[in-house]
Amino acid sequence: MDVLTLNGITKYYGRIRALNNVSFIVPEGSVFGILGPNGSGKTTMLGIIMDIIRPTSGSFTFFGAPPTAGMRKQIGTLLETPNFYHYLSAERNLRIAAEIKGKGHNQIDYVLRKVDLYQRKDSKFQTYSLGMKQRLAIASCLLGDPKVLVFDEPTNGLDPVGIAEIRELIKNIAAEGRTIIMASHLLDEVEKVCTHVGILKMGDLLAAGKVDEVLVNEDIVEVGAANIQLLEQTLHSLNGYTSLKKNKEVIQLLYPVGTANLENINEYCFKNGVVLNHLQLKKKSLETKFLELTNK
Amino acid sequence: MLQLLKIEWLKVKNYRTFWILSALYLLSIWGINYIVYVIQSKIFHDKNAKDAAQMFLGGPPYAFPKVWAMTSYVSSYLLFIAGLIMIIIVTNEFSFKTHRQNIIDGETRTQFIVTKLMCGVVVALVSTLFVFLTAIFFGITAGEGTFSFENFEYIFYFFLQALSYCWLAVFFSLLFKRSGISIGVFFLYTIVLENVLVQALNYYANGTGRYLPIQSSDELLPLPFLEKVQQQISKTEVNVTLQLAFVLAYLVIYFFFSRRKFETDDL
Repeated sequence: MDVLTLNGITKYYGRIRALNNVSFIVPEGSVFGILGPNGSGKTTMLGIIMDIIRPTSGSFTFFGAPPTAGMRKQIGTLLETPNFYHYLSAERNLRIAAEIKGKGHNQIDYVLRKVDLYQRKDSKFQTYSLGMKQRLAIASCLLGDPKVLVFDEPTNGLDPVGIAEIRELIKNIAAEGRTIIMASHLLDEVEKVCTHVGILKMGDLLAAGKVDEVLVNEDIVEVGAANIQLLEQTLHSLNGYTSLKKNKEVIQLLYPVGTANLENINEYCFKNGVVLNHLQLKKKSLETKFLELTNK
Repeated sequence: MLQLLKIEWLKVKNYRTFWILSALYLLSIWGINYIVYVIQSKIFHDKNAKDAAQMFLGGPPYAFPKVWAMTSYVSSYLLFIAGLIMIIIVTNEFSFKTHRQNIIDGETRTQFIVTKLMCGVVVALVSTLFVFLTAIFFGITAGEGTFSFENFEYIFYFFLQALSYCWLAVFFSLLFKRSGISIGVFFLYTIVLENVLVQALNYYANGTGRYLPIQSSDELLPLPFLEKVQQQISKTEVNVTLQLAFVLAYLVIYFFFSRRKFETDDL
């Protein structure tokens, strides 16, 4: 069963097009990253599925059914910024969230401990640092044990330790079999945490699918030899790679994921009288791939 | 609906601004009546003035049964504070973006806005209850006349006016979203601008100023001892049924426009 299905969502703010006919599917149990630069429409898209922004056209379904407020109660969502009553303590803020979700108050202490805010539960929200606010928002998402979580830039404003903690938390949540939809402009975050990814640019969905299919679809083998001309000639008769790029110092061979065999290449070159002085397997860098995709 | 009002209660329960404002507001309802009470009782205790006052005003305005109308009339000058409280309650949600969070957490847009309007009903009811108690207090203190519910309809009219202020305040808050501009426009409109319009319309458009949003409920709460004089000036009698119809029509408009606005906006 797919958790979320988007069908041709388009959104205009006046004359500005924020989303253009975006469709994709979030499978159950996946960690789905929505990757895109600032202003690419990530928050707009999450806002639409949370019913706080009206799409200009298009529709979406949760678990195959049209969305309702009752379904939102089963989804923990952190959208854009932590939104709480500044004059209330963390605990009182969570009570309000729990009441709206129709859950008891007995989980409040548990979720506060989980994000390490239990000691400060009686402090007013306005006295919190940015990182604490963000963690409180995540605590609020965890109320009621939701099967689906939506995080918009969850590590925003956190220090490196906080970022690592949140990523660990997200991985743990995902390991419990929950589905996570996460927007981020950080590639590294998506690579580290997500199983699936959709790439947005200026409101267009450029690609969507499994992370290793969308982002790392090629292995690069770098080879070098003293006589680079001879090496190139030799490699032309080698089979298996999809393309060959010649740089100043090395030659790059691009292989479909998992098919590059360094031993074979080494052996082949040696047999043909070329001694390699450089042989390295590189996963295509995420950044390169991302830039390639978004610069189309 | 009770569950939703309980959530609103959690929002204001520990909100100091709300409680300080509410306490001062309710105290002022008593206070403003006290000021007028003292002035009128001085007049009625002065031998020379008493006869003239009796002639113009009839009995003391704070004695039963006039006290219902008098207290309602005097207290209505403070209703802009009830509006202020509503504006704070609604615009707080916008500035904390908690209106979004409430929807995200699972309220429907309709539930959210209807609950806010119901908060307006609660504020209007509490205001009315307080006016009722204040009226009883001064009615008994005045000592003249015996307790009666004659003229009690003015308490109901006060409730309608209080609700008009509260819902207009909610509507302005939805329109402007920021507290500063909402409060400014609301105060200027209810205290000054509408009265300017009323005068202009009454003069140039055949007395239609009385049908403006706040004025239509103002007409239901005339100064109880100058009704005759007022009628002499405006040459028309207040058509209570028609005014009531206008007040109710405006309430329906505030309700549906607020609902529609919140249901269709990007939040």
